[in-house]
Amino acid sequence: MMMMMMMTSGPDLAIALPWQQIMTGDRDIAVAERDALGTRARVAVWPPENLDGACGAVDIVLRALDQQASRFRPDSEICWIHGRGGGLFMLSDGLAEAVGVALAAARWTGGLTDPTIGSALISLGYDRDFAAIDQQCGEPPAAPVPAPGWQSLRLDGTMLRLPPGVRLDLGATAKGLGADRAALAAMSASQQAGGVLASLGGDIAVAGTPPRDGWPVTAADTPDQVGSRAAQLVRLPRGAVATSSVSTRRWRRGGQELHHIVDPRTGRPADGPWRTVTTAAATCADANAATTAAIVAGQQAERWLATAGLPARLVGHDGEVRCLGGWPDADGAPVPVPPGTRVYRGVLRRSGPR
Amino acid sequence: MDKGMDKGMDSDREYRSGQVPLPGFGPPDRADPAGQPGPSRRDGIRHVRRMSNWTAAALIVGAGSATVALAHHTMTTAAPAAGTASATARAGTAAASGSGGPQAAHSVATTSGSGVTVTTATRTVNGKTVVTHVRHTPAYHDS
Repeated sequence: MMMMMMMTSGPDLAIALPWQQIMTGDRDIAVAERDALGTRARVAVWPPENLDGACGAVDIVLRALDQQASRFRPDSEICWIHGRGGGLFMLSDGLAEAVGVALAAARWTGGLTDPTIGSALISLGYDRDFAAIDQQCGEPPAAPVPAPGWQSLRLDGTMLRLPPGVRLDLGATAKGLGADRAALAAMSASQQAGGVLASLGGDIAVAGTPPRDGWPVTAADTPDQVGSRAAQLVRLPRGAVATSSVSTRRWRRGGQELHHIVDPRTGRPADGPWRTVTTAAATCADANAATTAAIVAGQQAERWLATAGLPARLVGHDGEVRCLGGWPDADGAPVPVPPGTRVYRGVLRRSGPR
Repeated sequence: MDKGMDKGMDSDREYRSGQVPLPGFGPPDRADPAGQPGPSRRDGIRHVRRMSNWTAAALIVGAGSATVALAHHTMTTAAPAAGTASATARAGTAAASGSGGPQAAHSVATTSGSGVTVTTATRTVNGKTVVTHVRHTPAYHDS
C-alpha cells in the first residue's frame, strides 16, 4: 500500500492581515477584528496591553487552519488529499486533529454531522469559497448526494485512509476548533495572564480569567441583528458558545433556495423547524457540532439537546425563541456551561497551537 | 501533649534480661570500675536519644502536615478541571469566585450564523455577463 504525505512548510510568522480595533465602551477590555476564513475573526482580551500578542497568535492559528482544512484553497492539505482520489495519507498533526474532532462529532451526534458531506455540498453548488458563489445562478442543482458515511474513514493517529471519491468537509467542527485553538494560543501569547475571547464567524471560545460575571456575548440569528429585540445578551463564564443558522450562507440554484447546513442522510439542505440554534459547551468544537446537529435533527432537536445535556437557545422560522437546558430567559444572565467535552479533548493535552 | 508520650519520649529503654551492655554503657547500678566516664557518657547518650526522638516526632508531624496541605491544594485546583480544558478550568475557577477579571458592561462579541463579508452575483446586461462583488460592511453594533 502506498502512503502519501504532503510536504508543507510551517506557518509564515511574518505575514499578518490587519486587525481593526473595535471600541466596545469598556476601557479594560481590548477588542479587534479582521476578515478570516471567509468570515470575521474577533479577539477580546484583558488586560488591553495583551491585544497585539494575542492577535499575532490568532493569526498563526487561523493561517494554519486554512492551510490544513480549507476546501477552497487549491494549496491546502485537504485539497491535496482530494486530488489524490483516495488512499492512505499521513496527515499533519493539525489536520489529523481536525479530522479526529470531526469523527468524534459524527460519533457523538449519531451521524447528524458527518465529515464526508463534501460531495453533497459540491452538488448543491457550494463548491468554492462562499463569497465567490453566484447567488442567482439559473442552473438547477445536481441530484442530491447523500454522504458516504463517516464510518468509511479510518484515522489511526495521523494516518488517514480515505476511500476513493470521498470528499471531506469539516464545516461542522472546524470553526469551533479554530476558536478553541485561537483562545488557547492567545492565552499562551499572554503568558496565561488575564483572559481572552476568540470568535470565528460567531463561534466563540474563552480562556483564562473572564471579566466579572463572565464575558458579555450577544446571541442572535445573524450578525446584523445585534441591538434588535431578536438578540439576547448573555454572560459566558468559561468554555464556549456557538450558533448555527440557516439564515446565513444562502444561495439560489434554478429557483431553489439553498443553504449550507446539509443533512448527511439525504444530501439536501436541512429543512427542520429551527432556523437558528445556539448552545454552550466546554469547548467550541463541541458547541459547533451540537448546533449543526440540532439544525439537522429538525423535530428531534430538543430531545437530542436534552440527551446531550447542553443549554440551548432555539429560534423557529417564525421567530419564536425557545430556551432549553438552563439557557437563561433573561438578558444579562450567565449561561450554565456544562463540564466535559465529547468532541475535542486536545485542549487537555496540547501545549501549543497546531 | 499526652503525658505517656512525654514520658516515652524522655525515658531510656530498659535493658532486658540476657542483653549485655557494652563497656561504659551499662545500667547505673553497674558503675564503671574507673568510676569516671560511665555516668556522664550515659547522660550524653540519653540526651542524644531524647533529641532524636523529638526530631523524629517533629519530622513525622511535619510530613503529615505537608501531605494534608498538598492534598488540599490538589483538590481545590483539580476539581473545576474535571473533564474540561485546563485553560477553561482556570477560567471557571475565577468565574465561580466572581473575582479577578474587570467589569465588562458591553457585549464584546456576537454568536450567530457566520456572516459573510463578500457576496458575488452574476447578471446578464445587454448580452454581456457582469459579475459583481458586494462587500457587506461588518456590523460593529456591539457597543
